Amino acid sequence: MADKHKINVFGLKFDYRLLIIIPIALTIFAIAVLVNQYLTTGEWFNRSIELRGGTLLTIKTDKEVPVATVEQILGGEFGSISVRGLRGFGEQGVLISLDASADYSRAVERLSAGGINITSYSIENVGSSLSSVFWSQAQVAIIIAFVLMTIITFVVFRNFVPSVAVIASAASDIVVTVGLMQVFGVEFSLASLGALLMLIGYSVDTDIMLTTRLLKESEITGLGEKIKEALKTGLSMTLTSIGAALALLIIPLPQVLVDIASVLLIGLVIDIINTWLMNSVMLRWYLESKGVS
Amino acid sequence: MLKYWRILLLFIVITGAVLAIGLKPRVHGVEVAYVTRDSPASGILKQGMVISELNGHAVSSAQQWDSEAMSLRGPVSLVADGVAYDFTVNDSIGIETEDLQSTNLEFGLDLRGGTRIILKPRENATRATIEQVIGTLQTRINMYGLKEIKFFPVESPDGWYIQIEATGVGRDVVDELLSSKGSFEAKVSKPVDIRNGRGTMQLGQNTYPVEVTNETVRVNGQDIPANGSFQLEGIDFQLGNTSAGKVIFMATVYRGNDIENIYTDPQHSSLVPYGNYYKFYFTVLVSSQGAERFAKVTSGVPSQMDLNSGEYYLKDCEIFLYLDNELQSNLRIASSLGGKAYSTPQIEGSRETRDDAAQEKMKLQTILRSGALPVSLETSSIAIISPTLGSNFIQAAMLAALVAGAVVITIVFVRYRKFKVAVPLVLIGLSEIIIVLGISASGPYDTAIWMSVLVANLLVIILAWWKLHESDLSAWAGAMLVPILGLLSWNTDLPAIGGLIAAIGTGVDQMIIIADETVGGKNITRKIYSIKEKIGRAFFIVFTAAATNISSLLPMLFVAAGIFMRGFVITTIVGILTGILITRPAYAKLIEAGTEHEHSKKQDNKQPQS
Repeated sequence: MADKHKINVFGLKFDYRLLIIIPIALTIFAIAVLVNQYLTTGEWFNRSIELRGGTLLTIKTDKEVPVATVEQILGGEFGSISVRGLRGFGEQGVLISLDASADYSRAVERLSAGGINITSYSIENVGSSLSSVFWSQAQVAIIIAFVLMTIITFVVFRNFVPSVAVIASAASDIVVTVGLMQVFGVEFSLASLGALLMLIGYSVDTDIMLTTRLLKESEITGLGEKIKEALKTGLSMTLTSIGAALALLIIPLPQVLVDIASVLLIGLVIDIINTWLMNSVMLRWYLESKGVS
Repeated sequence: MLKYWRILLLFIVITGAVLAIGLKPRVHGVEVAYVTRDSPASGILKQGMVISELNGHAVSSAQQWDSEAMSLRGPVSLVADGVAYDFTVNDSIGIETEDLQSTNLEFGLDLRGGTRIILKPRENATRATIEQVIGTLQTRINMYGLKEIKFFPVESPDGWYIQIEATGVGRDVVDELLSSKGSFEAKVSKPVDIRNGRGTMQLGQNTYPVEVTNETVRVNGQDIPANGSFQLEGIDFQLGNTSAGKVIFMATVYRGNDIENIYTDPQHSSLVPYGNYYKFYFTVLVSSQGAERFAKVTSGVPSQMDLNSGEYYLKDCEIFLYLDNELQSNLRIASSLGGKAYSTPQIEGSRETRDDAAQEKMKLQTILRSGALPVSLETSSIAIISPTLGSNFIQAAMLAALVAGAVVITIVFVRYRKFKVAVPLVLIGLSEIIIVLGISASGPYDTAIWMSVLVANLLVIILAWWKLHESDLSAWAGAMLVPILGLLSWNTDLPAIGGLIAAIGTGVDQMIIIADETVGGKNITRKIYSIKEKIGRAFFIVFTAAATNISSLLPMLFVAAGIFMRGFVITTIVGILTGILITRPAYAKLIEAGTEHEHSKKQDNKQPQS
């Protein structure tokens, strides 16, 4: 009886229920990151221009321009600015963040007058009122998406514990991903919001596959075997997606696609942990307690 | 053949999608993106026209156009939409062009370059007001001959927004479109004769004394400084020119809100040759208050004969039409109208050529009709993307899709090492990209193509049901829904590309589920379930997963934030729907056919032994 919950992985014998500590620890870590961010900056998330308001100037130049030169030319006239070098697309340039109210045309003129040869430029400006609407609605969208997912899960499985296991794993996916986004400096933008919503779907895909495999009759006997087969399928699913997301990050791509790929990459890695160390553990524990073996 | 009806459905839909993307009349040249206001072609060439020749030789790319046309001076001849035009270029030809799209895919602002602006009314506005604002702006852009500026009313819990998207258009156009508040004023010059420093201004029945001393003008006992303004009987006046025997006052008789209708029917609006000129006229209906002001101001003004035409006009009393304080046009007033409460004034003018006259008439009608915006607007967001940045993005996105595809193919091959599982998976994944892009495309034959697909689909599915007694709800839904979705069109922008990648990702995931449920598992000791039952179970997982995918994205469509991410959400949802209804069933059928084939092969091999 003592060995009831023991499993053997690569010669290591341990109680599989202990595995759930890893995803729980990760979730606590992510919450700690968010709380820490809130305490130090007053903001829960590092938001993009669209969600906090501001202006992003993308300047393409004929030759490389040092960030310091740009900062020096713009000086203190435009309030708080931040300048980054632009990489990729086989061209040079800088990304400049300005306040929403800053006169961006003037900033462009200043740079031209300051001897920087601008070949082309793009501007993205979102006023603070619109961005706050976006931001509050983005939060609503996540909550509604989550509620809909919960309803569908309950309707499909009509079984309390397995449904809760799926939902807990998806919730942990979102929380940990958002936490790690702060760690890796991925901004919360409308594109990453889209990717987060998509992630709910991706994360539930593997959970549903796992739950169906374990709950329904099949040719494979034994919970351990069933989980092993499901793991094979699930890892193939997640690894192809991770592979694609990684490929997107290797190529220099526009920010929208970088945001989507980064969030999916972080989220899918976390999903492996949550599906196989949280959802499957909860489900196995539940089934074993019901006498299924 | 009919046995594989699900695959047949897939082929019909792919064919439809390929045609929807690629079928378009072949033309050579460059497309007019924008004609600047000071261009000699302004008002003649319109956005969307195709320029095929410049000074007798063919033009094939926007780059060629930029290098050859932009520096031209003097006489220039070009062929646009098959018609030859001649211009004289003084400063710059002022025609910006872009390459013709070789497909029916409409690339979004972030890929083509252009301007996107989101406006918010300063006061609370109803939908009707927003529609009115859009109508006004729409009328104004017609003045520039721009077709490709799109306006969308966007509702949010915070109130209404207006989104403007101008693909491939210079930002100066949009700036001008918005900076002009559209305040319309019609001023009538009211001359007052001065004798010995004194005169009278007649307004209807009343007269007011006007005194002129060295530097100052006194009206009704009130000192008016140079260019100063004053009010009499509710009419705004401004002091204009003063000369020895005459003072001119500018009286505002109509404002934008006085214009009640602009007649454009032939009876009230026309263009006629008149000597060496072309004369145009049209009638407007103004409010009774406006008409009353006109009557007062034009009363008591003497007439004068025009020596060219022999007709009588009011002397020194003309009507000046201003838009945003800029003089657009000034017209003489027929003497018969003097002092009349005229509510249907006729606005007329003449130009040397018929085209110029027609152009001027349209411009005036547009100004009067568009009027002032009913609410003042503030810019909530602006995005300006340079076309060069956009075209780099297309290349980068295509490269990304290729690399991501290659990675997926590699992983799938490593995992299955069976061509019959992996090859269909990759092909079906590719077909999904084509189908989604085909649905998003909007070509001239879009409706015809997708209706043919619908008919063909129904034919196949009815035959399958009749002959094989095979059918299921999702097959019917897919056969009908996908062609109907085909009528939709949306821009392929960066979020849409992201959505396409995401949708293909879930598609691959679902095909892996199907493959593993049916042929992937190795440790199977007993064979209890038929392949059909296994596929059935795979589809239970696939449908549930698709339902959560779609429902988690739907909220995004209904919030204001969705306006930037529309492409992402629509592409993903359409991709998932196409996947579960058309491509996944076809994939399952391919796997099933492959398995049966293998079965029969094994049996064939066994036969000689037994």
